[in-house]
Amino acid sequence: MIRGAIAIFKRDFKKFLGNPYVLVFTLLMPIMYLVIFGNAMGGTISHVPIGVAQEGPPYTQTPLFNDAVDALMHLQPQRDNPRMFDVTVYTDETTAKNDLSEGRISGVVVFPSEVSSDHAVRMYLDSSDYMVPTLVQSGVGAALSKIGAHNPVQVNNIYGDIKYIQFFGVGVIVMAIFMTTMMGGGIALIKDREMGIHEGYLVTPVKRSSIILGMISSGTVRAFLAGFIIFGVGILITGIIMRSMEDFLLVLLVIFIASIGVTSLMVSIASRFSNQQEYASTTAFFNLILFMTSGAFYPTIGMPDWLRWITIINPEWYSVHALRSIILRGQGLAVVGPDLIALLVFSILAISLGILTYRRTLE
Amino acid sequence: MPISDEPAINLPQRGDEGGGGGTARAAGSGACLAPSAESIIRIDHITKIFKNRQTVVAVDDVTFEVQRGEIFGLLGPNGAGKSTLIRILTTLLQPTSGRACVDTFDIHAEPEKIRSIIGVCPQNSTLDVELTAYDNLEFYGKLVNVDDALLDARIWQLLKMAGLDDRAHMKVQTFSGGMRRKLEIVRAFIHHPLILFLDEPTIGLDPESRREVWEQIASLNAERTTIILTTHYMEEAERLCNRIAFVDKGRLIALDVLENLKRLIPAGDLLEIGFETMTEVVVSAIRQVGLVNSVEEKGQKLIISAKNGSRVLPAIVAIFEKYSLPISSISIHSPSLEDVFIYLTGRKLDDGGNGEAQQKGGRRRP
Repeated sequence: MIRGAIAIFKRDFKKFLGNPYVLVFTLLMPIMYLVIFGNAMGGTISHVPIGVAQEGPPYTQTPLFNDAVDALMHLQPQRDNPRMFDVTVYTDETTAKNDLSEGRISGVVVFPSEVSSDHAVRMYLDSSDYMVPTLVQSGVGAALSKIGAHNPVQVNNIYGDIKYIQFFGVGVIVMAIFMTTMMGGGIALIKDREMGIHEGYLVTPVKRSSIILGMISSGTVRAFLAGFIIFGVGILITGIIMRSMEDFLLVLLVIFIASIGVTSLMVSIASRFSNQQEYASTTAFFNLILFMTSGAFYPTIGMPDWLRWITIINPEWYSVHALRSIILRGQGLAVVGPDLIALLVFSILAISLGILTYRRTLE
Repeated sequence: MPISDEPAINLPQRGDEGGGGGTARAAGSGACLAPSAESIIRIDHITKIFKNRQTVVAVDDVTFEVQRGEIFGLLGPNGAGKSTLIRILTTLLQPTSGRACVDTFDIHAEPEKIRSIIGVCPQNSTLDVELTAYDNLEFYGKLVNVDDALLDARIWQLLKMAGLDDRAHMKVQTFSGGMRRKLEIVRAFIHHPLILFLDEPTIGLDPESRREVWEQIASLNAERTTIILTTHYMEEAERLCNRIAFVDKGRLIALDVLENLKRLIPAGDLLEIGFETMTEVVVSAIRQVGLVNSVEEKGQKLIISAKNGSRVLPAIVAIFEKYSLPISSISIHSPSLEDVFIYLTGRKLDDGGNGEAQQKGGRRRP
């Protein structure tokens, strides 16, 4: 019994040592988890963009306005921390609210004019974001108490009350897409290589672009179905309400384009591997980075700058943003258009990469 | 160039070693105009070296031509470089040096043109076992551009040929090894290719299936398909091949038609002639016949060793008649291909003893 066990142990261990790629990834994963998880989830949120405006008429700035804006601009939760808010001063309330609804700022603080009856400070908050609304609210409170103003505060969540499960539920649609592509996306190509089946079709006139495009199409359909099902389940579980048929169709469009983007990425990774283990470690690695920086869990505004840079090339960030814009904020093509364009550009790059790196020979 | 410095074995093909690689490759683009109507494949000083942990010279400066419409046999032990050579010709591997033309296309310059005129049955199974027999054929039919209108009929024709029409819609993973092999072979010629490469087509088949495959190959050849076949079964090569190339340790060691290969053995054929009575005069008369090497009396039989058995036989029979001696039996034993191979290499064909080359049959990672 011992002899057999030792033989099995040796065989397995030799294979483990014989594949340095997997070995490196096994060690790299926990480290990456530490760095990314730790930074993505634990960072202090700072530089929240907010707008301030003076109520009118008259639009002359009141001492309250001047003092409060100054306080907001210099608000630091702790010494040596970066400033909490990036304050933009608007000359009128309408422009500020417009920027808020287009997602350029996370909140608008409107200060009462001298002739106001109740002297209330009104706040309009982008409630589709997690953490940020509460933060703005407490920040404004702190600023007011610092200057000794005792005005009543009025809070308006412009998208109603959004629970975390709804915030997160949208991100899970993207996760469903990613998981499907991880299991299915390029793995068939690698299985073919492992079993030597590819030798059979590489001697036919089939082009490598056909191979890659075929794989991406099939993966896209599967990812789309998964995303669609999770979207449906999400509606039931999280209580998201679709406002109109157009919104619903727009969500499907976003899921579809996101599926193309993520599948292309996975297939282009798979185009080079000949071992399922290597592929699995690589995709797990990408899964971590892309999903963590997608903003699905936690607002990307809380991340350190270097991590936030990844969001610029992260198709999942665009997908999450687009889905949230439609589902939680009811925004239309005007807002999600740039996201879709970014996803398409990303897909084209990934597809080209996949085609170029696919080996048409056995070498 | 890491070509070994062993002397070439009785072959004129080995060219000057210095000039092989770079120059041939540089000149290799699109210069594959058919020099003669007969040759369909021209291989010119092809060398393939695998550098992994160990450096293995899988194909070592091989030069030959395959003629249009023939069945060409590549014979050699396991790891001789047969499959590597096939993979180079089927555009799956790039040679380290040298050039080759398939029909009028250069393997460097126009691999995609080559892929559209060849059919390949690789040594390892490349069927998708999760698909049915029909689906496997349909998949390949589409990849090799069989007209959609003809595809269904063609698939059924091939399934009948392979004896699998009653299992068309069963997954290949339920098939026996022989059934899979037959399916793989018929798949290779679904599109009526100009050239068919069969890498160990009958490996693992029972004798009856093997005969069926041979019949298929012969009938395809009758339709002017050129067939390149690798095997280490002597019987297969003897039955099917017009010309046979012996490959060993990456080298081409002999290439000719079967009869000429057998003549490479100086001992030649053995004739056994049974008799009732024998006289010394007859024996010495037979010794005088040209091409006869030796004559020996063994019991009631005369054992004659001659360079070309069938040609000397009439003369020998004439001697018996001249002296009015009755002949009770005649038999001629030609040396087998196996004997020729042993003579040329000093080793048996299927002992596969050269371990270093053994690994090359399987798949390889870069």
